Amino acid sequence: MLRRFWLKCSSKWKCLLNVVYVKLMVVTTGKNSGREREIVVGVIGQPNVGKSTLFNVLTGEISHVANWPGTTVERKEGVREYKGKIIRFVDLPGIYGLSASTTEEVIARKYIVEEKPDLVLVLVDSTAVERTMYLAIQVLELTPKVVIALTKSDLTHSLGIHIHVDRLESKLSVPVVPVSAIKGYGLRELLDAIIDVAEGRRCRREPIRVNYGSFLESTISDVERVLSKSALSRKYPLRWLAIRLLEGDPELEKELELLGEDEVVHGVRRIRESLARTYGRELMELFVAQRFKFIDSLLGDVVVRVEKKARRYEELSLTELATALLDRLIQHPLMGPVVSFISLLILFSLIFAVNTGFPFNVLLSYLGFSELAELIEEYSISGLLGLGFTYLSTLLEPLLKTCLGPQVTSLIVDGVIPGVGAILSFLPLIMLISLLIATLEDSGLAPRFAISFHNFFSRFGLSGRAIYPFMIGLGCNLPAVLASRTALEEEERRQLIVSVPFIPCQARLVVILAFVTTYIKNPLGQALALLSLYAISFLVALLTSILTRRVVYRRKEPPELVIELPPIHRPSGKVLWWLTWDYSKHFLRKAGIIIVGLSIVTWMLLSYGPEGYGVGIEKTYGALLGKLLAPVISVLYGLDAEKAWKVGFALLHGFIAKEAFLEATSLLYGGVSIDEALRALGFTLPSLMAFLVFFTLYVPCLPTIAVIYQESRSVRLTLSVILYMIGIGLVASQLVYLVLASLTFLYS
Amino acid sequence: MTTTALDMVPPGTRCRVIALDVGYGINRRLMQMGLVPGSEVKVLDNSGRGPLVIEVRGVEIALSRGIAKKILVEVLK
Ligand SMILES: Nc1nc2c(ncn2[C@@H]2O[C@H](COP(=O)(O)OP(=O)(O)OP(=O)(O)O)[C@@H](O)[C@H]2O)c(=O)[nH]1
Repeated sequence: MLRRFWLKCSSKWKCLLNVVYVKLMVVTTGKNSGREREIVVGVIGQPNVGKSTLFNVLTGEISHVANWPGTTVERKEGVREYKGKIIRFVDLPGIYGLSASTTEEVIARKYIVEEKPDLVLVLVDSTAVERTMYLAIQVLELTPKVVIALTKSDLTHSLGIHIHVDRLESKLSVPVVPVSAIKGYGLRELLDAIIDVAEGRRCRREPIRVNYGSFLESTISDVERVLSKSALSRKYPLRWLAIRLLEGDPELEKELELLGEDEVVHGVRRIRESLARTYGRELMELFVAQRFKFIDSLLGDVVVRVEKKARRYEELSLTELATALLDRLIQHPLMGPVVSFISLLILFSLIFAVNTGFPFNVLLSYLGFSELAELIEEYSISGLLGLGFTYLSTLLEPLLKTCLGPQVTSLIVDGVIPGVGAILSFLPLIMLISLLIATLEDSGLAPRFAISFHNFFSRFGLSGRAIYPFMIGLGCNLPAVLASRTALEEEERRQLIVSVPFIPCQARLVVILAFVTTYIKNPLGQALALLSLYAISFLVALLTSILTRRVVYRRKEPPELVIELPPIHRPSGKVLWWLTWDYSKHFLRKAGIIIVGLSIVTWMLLSYGPEGYGVGIEKTYGALLGKLLAPVISVLYGLDAEKAWKVGFALLHGFIAKEAFLEATSLLYGGVSIDEALRALGFTLPSLMAFLVFFTLYVPCLPTIAVIYQESRSVRLTLSVILYMIGIGLVASQLVYLVLASLTFLYS
Repeated sequence: MTTTALDMVPPGTRCRVIALDVGYGINRRLMQMGLVPGSEVKVLDNSGRGPLVIEVRGVEIALSRGIAKKILVEVLK
């Protein structure tokens, strides 16, 4: 309402109201530092131009993170004080142009037109000006209040590129400032230019006019005539509107239709289509080609590239040689996938190992070096953290008991501390994984590795980038769901969110191993059981993905891969830290609250019963729930009622953290060893395998669910995932049971 | 001068784009990346399976074969 009113106001009114507003603020808050209102700058650039890096350097701290209305795209803002002025930077999504063919492009355009920032800061990559200038020209066609920053200008010299900035500046009549976010130069000049433009000292009056050639120009004039009476011509520059509609712009057509101007839409469409017929191709092609022609003539005497003599291998430094070698290897048709897979496997194993000892602890104890395995586990990050929390609990317990009574003590010791502990024990893992992903992304390796896997994943409706969530999932599902962000499109991202939780994580492996080693004595049988469980889970995950794509999103084709491959280079420590911290902060803030909340709920379930607090495990709500599940479990896995409810109860525990299944079982049998407790459950081979299939698939752990919600922002999707997983778990486990039972029957 | 789909062009070859016939959204993305009719492209990597790597306006881009198949080019030299 207010906003529409605001847009309708004439600019004179706006000025007046603004002054009134500022004066009012001064009166009410008593803060008059002599400044006018802050300067608002929209920051825009094509992907990879170095936008995040510059944004961080300019603003230091991100002051505000939210989502763009109606989307899951993040909106970041940061503030910088400079020469007594407050400059607010708004980070717009990385996009290639303003055609409004993606959500991100719509967001950026809407922001520029509707929120009317004081100016738009367009970033152009000085190592690829010919390509990245396109967005700058598109912005300049929309608004004259622009500052151009030439990013990464520390690299130009070594690449043999020279840019005549003054010439570019005088041709475009907007400030052009070479900057380097990494080396930190050009920033003051950039801020000065921003203030100059904001205060109207150094800016164009009109948007730029690209000459589209006599033929298109006369068409543009025709359309301008049709549009001149339209209400939209007050919101957008007339020429820009005409060009956009000629190129074909569903977003603007919708806006016209909302205003009831259907004739205008039809009029323009008629012109467009008849021209497209004469030309035999879409008009947009002509416009884009002309724009690039304009850029080429603009840059003709601005960008000078000195062709560097190709150097022989002997002349390269060691790092350059390594880079060249790596590049060749990854892109080799046969070696590529193998090298990529092995490198990623090694990297991720190392990360997991630092965090929990996995997979080396499992491997070592399997080979009979159990003491060594325990040592590794104990001195891993999560081992140490776990130790710390147990220590804290035992330290606090007697203290709290004397002052707060047993109930509150138990709430804190068994509910809150484990919840906070869960978050904190995920944190190092998340930080390490984000660090690794950031390194791969920032060095330019990530997209190259992804290419190798594209063929495989495209069969399941995913792109090659799915390799990251899938690999991470083997260690832990939670960061794997977070990594769904590497997806190329929204559908792919959701496919990943629903399929990744099926991947057996390390905690599930621990439980599976405990069962398998208890029940199966022959090593070959153990390995076979383990491998088939992994195979089933991956199959279910991949099939889930393709099914979701085909059935839910009705998309037949796999996501098409169109990704830029930035040159391989050494990543910058600063950038890595930002990326890592950004990722982790997000997790702490959003998922943290949910995890602690749910831990408290489960604590209540496991310590209260209908008769109140402190009634013994068998009378708690948790046990009642377990008993509710018992009939189903006893039918499915042929267990008697007494064992069945224990399994149900332990499964509830496993929902909180998969490995808790083991402790819960041993607790129910009065604290006997896990081995004995598991044996006491009395599975047969078919029912054991069937149960393990269910256990692996039935639902991810609670923190992962919290993250699924955080990432999808949809209660419906989160609940559907839970129900779907339980359903698939039941079906798959019954199938396995039937197959194994009939095999056993045949061979006995 | 030979006309062919981009996915048939061997690595190391320069060619000029004649027409693109991919879906709406991707078409726009490719064009804004500089892949318009008339622009020059160099195929850097094309192993016959898996995505291709091309160079457009000084930037390396990986394209899946499904897309490359629908880009018509003329081989230069
Ligand atoms: N040499 C140099 N490299 C830079 C500079 N700024 C950014 N880079 C590098 O350029 C790459 C892209 O930087 P980002 O800041 O992530 O780029 P972005 O535009 O935010 O890209 P997206 O995250 O894909 O939208 C990274 O590898 C950076 O390390 C710079 O000033 N100098």
